[in-house]
Parts: sequence; structure tokens; C-alpha cells
Amino acid sequence: MWRSAFAEPSMPKDPETAGQQDAPHTLIPFLQSQSQTALTRLYTRPSSCLAIFRLLGPIERQIVMSLLWLEGPIASQTLNGWVTKEGRKPYGTALDTLSKIQILPNPGTRMLLNPNFKASFRMALTGGGDLNSFGVPYVSSKEKDAERDGAGDKKFGPNSEHLDSYALERWETILHYMVSSGTDSTPQRPSAGVLYLLQRSGLMQPLPSPSGYSTASSRKTSQLQISSLGFQFLLHTPHEQLWELLLQYLKMVEERQMDLVEVLNFLFMLSTMDLGREYSPDNLTQTQLVMLEDLRDYGLIWQRKSSSKRFSPTRLATTLTSSTPLLPSSGGGNTGPQGFIILETNYRLYAYTDNPLQIAVLNLFVHLKSRYPNLVVGSITRDSVRKALNNGIRADQIISYLVTHAHPQMRRNNPLLPVTVQDQIRLWELEKNRLKSADGYLYTNFAAQADYQVVLDYAKQIGVVLWENSVKRCFFASAEGHSNIRGFIERRSKDEQM
Amino acid sequence: MPPRRAQDHNYMAVDSDSDDSFIVEDGDGDFGADRTRGAKSKGKGKAVQKGKDKGKGKGKEQPYSWEASYTRSWDAVQEDEGGSLQTAVEDLLARGRRRRLLGPSTAIRRTIIRHLILILDLSASMLDKDMRPSRFDLTLEYARAFITEWFDQNPLGQIGIVGMRAGLGERVCDMSGNPQDVLKHISDRVKLEPNGEPSLQNAIEMARGSMSHLPSHSSREVLVIFGSLTSCDPGNIHDTLDACVKDRIRVSFVSLAAEMKICRDFCVKTGGTFGVALNEGHFKDLLFEGIPPPVQTGAAATAKTGPGNPAADLMQMGFPTRLPDTAPPALCVCHSELKTEGFLCPRCGAKLCDVPTDCDICGLMIVSSSHLARSYHHLFPVKPYEVLMDKSSLTITSPSVCHACALPFRESQQSKTPATAPAEGLSPLGRYRCPDCGNDFCADCDVFVHEVMHVCPSCHDPKPIPQPS
Amino acid sequence: MSHLSLLLDLQPAAWHDPTQSLQFSTFLAHILVFLNAHLAQKHENSLAIFGAFPGKSIMLYSSIDQTKPADRRVQPDPNWYQPFKTLDAALTERIREEMPQPSTSSEAEELPVALVGALAKALCCKIIQATKVEAPSDTPVVMPESRILIVSVSPDAAASYIPLMNSIFSAQKLKVVIDVCKIYGPDTTFLQQAAYLTGGSYIRVEKHESLLQYLMMCFLQPPSVRSLLAVPTTDRVDFRAACFCHKDIIDAGYVCSVCLSSGSDCF
Repeated sequence: MWRSAFAEPSMPKDPETAGQQDAPHTLIPFLQSQSQTALTRLYTRPSSCLAIFRLLGPIERQIVMSLLWLEGPIASQTLNGWVTKEGRKPYGTALDTLSKIQILPNPGTRMLLNPNFKASFRMALTGGGDLNSFGVPYVSSKEKDAERDGAGDKKFGPNSEHLDSYALERWETILHYMVSSGTDSTPQRPSAGVLYLLQRSGLMQPLPSPSGYSTASSRKTSQLQISSLGFQFLLHTPHEQLWELLLQYLKMVEERQMDLVEVLNFLFMLSTMDLGREYSPDNLTQTQLVMLEDLRDYGLIWQRKSSSKRFSPTRLATTLTSSTPLLPSSGGGNTGPQGFIILETNYRLYAYTDNPLQIAVLNLFVHLKSRYPNLVVGSITRDSVRKALNNGIRADQIISYLVTHAHPQMRRNNPLLPVTVQDQIRLWELEKNRLKSADGYLYTNFAAQADYQVVLDYAKQIGVVLWENSVKRCFFASAEGHSNIRGFIERRSKDEQM
Repeated sequence: MPPRRAQDHNYMAVDSDSDDSFIVEDGDGDFGADRTRGAKSKGKGKAVQKGKDKGKGKGKEQPYSWEASYTRSWDAVQEDEGGSLQTAVEDLLARGRRRRLLGPSTAIRRTIIRHLILILDLSASMLDKDMRPSRFDLTLEYARAFITEWFDQNPLGQIGIVGMRAGLGERVCDMSGNPQDVLKHISDRVKLEPNGEPSLQNAIEMARGSMSHLPSHSSREVLVIFGSLTSCDPGNIHDTLDACVKDRIRVSFVSLAAEMKICRDFCVKTGGTFGVALNEGHFKDLLFEGIPPPVQTGAAATAKTGPGNPAADLMQMGFPTRLPDTAPPALCVCHSELKTEGFLCPRCGAKLCDVPTDCDICGLMIVSSSHLARSYHHLFPVKPYEVLMDKSSLTITSPSVCHACALPFRESQQSKTPATAPAEGLSPLGRYRCPDCGNDFCADCDVFVHEVMHVCPSCHDPKPIPQPS
Repeated sequence: MSHLSLLLDLQPAAWHDPTQSLQFSTFLAHILVFLNAHLAQKHENSLAIFGAFPGKSIMLYSSIDQTKPADRRVQPDPNWYQPFKTLDAALTERIREEMPQPSTSSEAEELPVALVGALAKALCCKIIQATKVEAPSDTPVVMPESRILIVSVSPDAAASYIPLMNSIFSAQKLKVVIDVCKIYGPDTTFLQQAAYLTGGSYIRVEKHESLLQYLMMCFLQPPSVRSLLAVPTTDRVDFRAACFCHKDIIDAGYVCSVCLSSGSDCF
């Protein structure tokens, strides 16, 4: 239809929607693994319903909204009739997700929303109830007087710049610590709780001693080093990083004897709060009061001092359920969601940033040569990449980090990164696979073929043979099996002697 | 011959085989305003200067030829004393506004039904690389953009394409009202490979022949994109010129090389426009000048039924009904394919795939009312807004936000040196007032209303009918 | 992120008619819940509301422009999500201020509402918002999906045909989808054409008490989801022109080549 030349009913492909249809939010599988009673308790609070709703994908959201204001169940056929041909598969996945999370149990022939969820969500949209689930604002006596006198507009409490800088500082402390691998080169360490969390989540691991064993002493002095998972973590967007940490926190909740539902309720309440407003902790349960301190360490909450009677959520908390870029990175400028790395075919790298965190990340695999107020120059060399590979970072991770943070001008190239550099990084990684060393013992100088065969069979039985050569009648066994084989040979020689 | 100095703006590079271009000194030019003087331009200036001067003393070094692919776009903008580019941007806006003010602001008779033949020069001189990537590739690219935009603004028109190659005129595409069809014919670059010498007479004769049968109320136009400096004609080209004048065909030229007298004669005698492109940006602008419908001059008017008011022709048109997807399938008359959706001709009931088109069975022109509506803004343009220069026109009740977008007005910063007066066409208060309804608008809304929307937001509010006293 | 501009046709005569089944206050309640649902979808969703009153059009609320001090005065309610509460309060207050009482005098016919002006203003805001979202060039910009929802109760105004069509074409160029929800009044062909040309849907509400359900199921989805979950559209759009002298709908007739006015044999 040539009419479509100027009458295009075009559907702009929102990249975020398309992406979300493929991968649901990371919290969803966690919620799906919870028990039904836990979820029911969760759904009694409107703020939790609202927050979980925002985490769902677009088709799921639309299904929920369509069914929300219906009184009785409707036949699945009716709703299925609305789905187009391309939408069948995403629709099926959406129904599946909703049923696993108990919002839409049993979407068989008749569809009916979970009544708890329905009631609370309706309350969320229209306001009402008395659960105070959106946070009780803190009204100090000063404010009350001001209102009485009609002074109205003055803001008591922190302003948003202060909150932003606080959140940024706490968050970057954590990331800095991870990047500098606990070498104490950063001025501040995160608190012990954070360190424990990082270690438990596998993002950092204790420093291995030269002999290859991680001694108890190294664990005690908490010399942590970033692991391969940790580097993967650094590659993610701040939003994903935050949720990874929170998920880990949630997983550890059971051991600390905290109520998971309370924890989730508090997190969701935080995500619906107003930035810059103070809230009073009067309505919080015991669990949630404990959480206050933890969340302060992560930069989600600001409190004047730890015994203060009020707290404020920072931007990290209020944008928990959204996907916009969270914080302006320190060192200002335009290094936010845009990239800043330019990579040339001669392995030289130019990074337009002065954010110490990003420079520290680059330092992991790039040999930095010079540094200017807004530019860092370095080159990718064999040594620098080998150093990174030794730390457990994979070549794919390096390449995907470079791609994610590539400068917009690099996007004009096709492919994005020079092929030579990509291939070379991968080759350096493969280089490490050439020689594998294993400690062990070589057994040789057997008197007879039969002896050799018997010992070899025994060694194979216990599975420690690494190499054998029947012509020369010798084989190589690993160190662990050595004592067994020696014992076996001694027993045999004793038997023969007898 | 004196050495070419960098400041010599009036110097034009005549030799089309060289890679010389204009050296842009500063970007503060008014391109498009005065082509004949070869004035400074605001497009991407290139600083290429080959060693043709044979060492006659130049101020500039000779850069490498591979540097020629880097255009010195930074020459085009200038920073003010504060180091910001804001004034350069505002300058551009003011220039655009001034240009619009020059245009007619009242309703002017224009021909809405248009037939255009685009003549492309496919001779060897189009392979020249003085415009990146080559004249030919650039022409094709801009021709595609031109065709899309042309059909957008003139849905009732038709375009045909003729090529000049090897001394002959080739019919690349017949007259068609379907933009996809036309674009398909020029999409194949290999088929259009340039070679040989161009022949103006053959091409224009071919164009004239294909437009001879058209009714008198539609405009007949020819747009030639000409890249060489010669023309190999079999006969006397002035005869062709007279024939075009007699047939009321309007010929316009966009030249990529230089001005030729015969081209200018064509344009002047037939009432078209002539331009020589200085660089790529200027080329595009010249090409796109042909998109709005031409003003109907007295000479081109039709039957004279009396002094002053020539009669207008009435064209017979039909308005179709649309068949939705749910209608039973039937054969369409244009492709003979079985389809469910389409349009029904009101006179003969034949099923058509697209509109606007001529019904194949009964010959009635089928249009939908929205196509007619697309051309209304040419006939009833929005009055340009007045620029408020000082605060004396503000009263106490004047709102402090723009009437359309409800954002506060951006007042331009006072320049430090009083010598630089604010540019004409730019309001220091950031306010622009509509002469009809008296509301103030900000600069962004002004640009949007006049270039895209063609509707003043408050002029069409219903007003109470004054009560008879 | 998705942007919704709502144009409310607030013709007092139509709304204050006591015989209608949907009263204005109920209608407002439905609309407010629908707007809350739109804001609930995503944290970044934005909203702008315009009211078309007789003879003038006003922007009633804009979620992007939060600099007004009035918003901070609204006390946070622990049982109500703060953006919802601000929206409700601001909208009801503005409508109460601006909505004129139905004229008690019966002689002068009521002025038609300034729907075209409101539509033009909504598009101006759109362009401003889009340029604000744009990052510096070369970065891949995620443009917000915009749509306009027109809630209409009045019939077509013939005088506004040309500006309305111009606005529709500029909406096409900006890739803005126009949806129309018709509550009372006769079918408006202009708005039908608007919905068809921009790829939106025109829906006539039959059962007024379930207005909210209509709004939720048909108008809540952003355009990108509509390719997966279809919404009902009107196929039978009347593209025929009207004779300029008789105002009849004509199938085939004559069109002046100069001013493009169409007419039947009376020319």
C-alpha cells in the first residue's frame, strides 16, 4: 500500500520493551521460588503489589490491568482472542510467569486474579486502606509549627543533591573496593557487613596464597580479591548491580533469622517513596529496623546518625523498580550511559573519563600510560591481558566491557571493535591453555612388564594416572595418589617376598 | 594571475575536473540567498588546494589528498566570546525566520496538481569526486530523498525520470503517482552507470513528449540536475526552448559544475529557477526548493475569461469507499491479484489497490479527502509571527510562559559588547506574537508551527458570534 | 518509557445533562484511575492533560513540569502513592477552576470546544519533550513512545477541518499515535480519520458504567505492545468529501484546481 509512505502506523520498537520480553527482571525467579503463603503475605500490602507490578514485563502488566477491575473470572478464550499471531509465544510465556508468581494462579480455562493481589492493587491505584504501606512521613514539631503559621514551603531535611552525593559515595566505595582487590589503596573500606556479602556472593574471593591453598589466616584478615564473577558484575549497569547485591542479601536473610516477607515489604516500600522527604521509622517491625543499618551501608538510605529518628531514601532506593540511569557518576561530565572508550587497531586505548572507578577497572586489563584531566591513554599489551587472565577474568568479559562502554563514535565502525584486537585478546587467553602443569610422580624402571601392568591397573583403578607410556614402561600419577601407589607396591613386594 | 588568496571570496573554481573547492573562511554566510555572487557559504567547506598554482606563493600548506575526506566542519561555526555556540545556533534560527518572512504570507494561487519530470545527468562528468562520495552517488541519494519528500507534500502529483547518457535521452521511469514505484526505478545503481556525453535537447524533447497530453490545469515541470559543461545536440536547442515556452513547461536547473548560458536562458524564458550548487548542503537545498507547489504566474494562467480573474478548471474526481480486511476477496484491476482490502471506484465499482490513482476502467481520478487536505497548508499558510524586540509591547497580563508549550520564555543573554546588536529576526525576549490572535510563543514552538504543523494553536479557537445589537 | 497526552472534551452542556447515564463526577473518577494505571506502569512514564473548553484550551496537568510549588504543598499520605495523589489533587482543582457552569440562558448556542487548539498544544509539548530527551548527537536515543488520547463528546466542527487535518499530518510525521474514545454524541468522521491515519483506534463506548474497563483494555497499552495484544480498531472509515455548498457527502464530483474545494454538479 503506497499510502503507507506517509500514513505509517509505525510501532517504534522500544528497545527496552523488546529486551524485557526476553529476560524478566532478576527478582522474578526469586519470587517464583517462594512459597505460596509467603507470596500471599506479600500481596497484602499495596506498595509491594505496585513494586512487583513494575518489575513485570509489558504483556504481563497489560494482562493484569485488563483483569483487575473485573468482578468474576472470565474465560481464557476471550482474552486469547486479543492476541495476534506474533504475540502468541510471548503471551504464553507471560501467562506462565504470572502463574508461577501466584498472581494469576491456574490460567487454564478461566482466568481470575489472586484475590489478595487484586484487592491490594486496587487499593494502590485508588488509595485507601490503613496499612501505611507507602511510608509514614516524618513530621517534626518544627514542621508542625511552620504549617500552623502558614510558612508552607520550607523544606526540612536533606535536599536531593546531598542524598545523591551520599548514595554515590557509598556505592562507589563498594565498587572501588572490589576493583582495587582489597589492597587498601582506597581511602575508605566498606563496612564489615558489605564485605561479608561480597564474599558470600562469590564476587570476591579470599586471596590465594602462593602454595595454592587459601589459608585460614588469609580468610581471617579478609584480604579479598575480585573473582571472575566479580568482574562480570562490574560490567553490568548500576541497576543490575544493585539488584544482584540485593538478591544476595535476600538469600542470606534466612540465616540471619529475619523474615523474608518483611524484608521484601520494606524494600518495596522504599521504592515507592518520595525522594528528599523524611520518613519516620515508627511503623517498622523489628526486622525492618535491623535492615535500616544494612541499607545505610549500601547507600539506599540516609540517616543523620544511626540512632536518628528519621530516614530518607536516596535515589538508589526510589528508582529500584525503574530502569533509568541512576546516579550521575562522580567526576561529572558526560560519562553516564554513554561510552567513553576508543580503541584503535594499534592496540592503543583512549578513555575520556576522570572517574577513578572506571580508571581502576581499566587498570585491570590495560597498561595505562598517561593521564590527563579528562583523558586516560593506555595500551592493551600481552602482559596486561595476561595479568587480567590470571585474575580469573575471561577474554569475553573484557571484550564485552569494551563494547558496552565504547564511545559513540566507535559505533560507526562495523564491527565495533577492531577485529585484530578482539582476536588477539582471545589468542592470549588460549595461550594460557597450552601448558597445564600438575604435580606428581613418575613411576619408571619396572623390572617386568607384568609388574608394570599390575601397578598401572591399580593406579587407573584409583584414577590418578595422568600419562602413561607402555613402550618405556613408565607412567605418571598425580601427587594425591602417590601414597596409595607406594603402599600398594610395598604390599605387593611384601607378598612376593613371603 | 595573482595567487589565490584564502580571503578571496569572489573567486569561483570554474574547472570542473579539478578537486578545488571553496575555501571557507568563516562560517557566517547566508547560503542560498545570492548564488550569483558566489558568496560565502555555511556548508561544509573544504580546504583542499591542489598544487595547481605552480608555486605562486600561497599562505596555506598543501595537505595530503587523503585529508580531503575530512571536512572541516569546525570552520562552519564560530564561538562567541564566552566560548559557547549558542549564538551560532540562534543565528541559524534567525536566518531561517527571515527567509520565511520573505515568502508570501497570504493565500496565493498555486498549482496543486503537478507533473514533474526529473532529468538526471548520467554522463561521464558525473563520476567526478568533487562532491563526496561522487557526484553521481550523491545525486541518487538526494534524488531519493527529494522524491519521498515531494510525494509527501504533493500527493496528487506524478513524477517521471529521464536520464541523459551517451548522447541519448533514456526513459528511466514513466510518469507515476506511486513513490515506491519511482524509487524502485532508481534504486539499481548499476543500470544507471554514467558514461558518454549528455544531450540536453534529446532529454528535454523526451520530457516534453511525455507531458504533451496532460490537461491544462496541471502544472508541467522539468527539473534538470546537470553536471557537465557541454551538450551534444542533434539540432538547434533554441527550437526546443521555444517549443517548451509554447507548451508552458517550466524548466529548472540545478547545476553541479558551473553556469551555462543556455541553461540560464531555459530557466528565465520558461519561468523556472536556476542554481549552481556550491557544496553538498547547498545542493540539497537547491533541490528541495522545488518541492512546494509553484506560484501560478499570470502568463501561465489558463483560459482568459476576463481581465483579472482567470477561470479555474474543475477536475472531476471520485472519492472511494474503503474495503476493510474482512471484506470478501476480489481481483484488483491494477495487478489482477486476489485481495481482500482495497478501494472501490464510485463510478464503475472497480477494485483498486492504492489511491490516489486513475481508475483503470473508467479513467476517473480517485483521491481520498485526506490527500486533498495535505495540500491545504500551501494555500492557506500560517501568518509568520512578529518578533517582539522590546518590553514595551508587554502588558501586566501577558503570561510568562509560552502559550503552546507552557514553558517559560528563554530570554537571550545580553551580549557583552553593545556593538553586536541582536540579530534581526531574533527576539531578545524570546517571544513571538501571532498577528491574528495576539498570543506569544517561544522560539521552538514558532519553528514547529511554521515548518511542520502549519496550524497556529490559538487562531482556531471558536469565537463567540457577536450578538446583533 | 511512554508518554500519554489526554485531551478532555469538556463541553458543559453535554456533561451537565442530567439525563445522561454517566455523570461528570463518575467520569472523572474513571479517568483518574486510568491515569494512575498509566503512571503505575513504569516509573518513567509521563503524562500531560489538556482540557478543551468552549472557546479555549488549557493545559491542566503535566507530570514533567514539577516545578510548581503547589505540588510540594500536598501532604504525603502513607496510604497513597505520592504521584497519584498529586495528580488527583491537581486535576480536580484545575477542572473545578476552569469548567464553566452550563449557561442558564437558552438563546445563544454554546461555543464548540477548542479541540484543535488543544491538539496543537499537545503536539507542541511533544516536540519540546522529545528535544529535551535527546542526548548529544551520536548516542542511540530511546525516544519515548507518545500517544494522544482524545475523549470526545461533541460532534465535528466543520470549520476546524483544515487545521485538524494539518495537525494529524504533523502527528504522523512525529510518529505519534492518536486514539479516540467516543462517549456521547454522534460519530465524528474527522476523529475517525485521525485515528486511522496515525495507527490508533477509535472506540465508541456503549456501556458507560464500564468505561474504566474500556480504557484499561483498549487504551492503556503503548504502541509497541499493540503488535502483540491487538486493540479493536474501526475499519469502516469514511474518506469521502463533503460538497462545499450543500454539505452533502459526495462520491464523485468536481474539484477546483486552485482552491481544492469539492462539489457536486451544482458547481
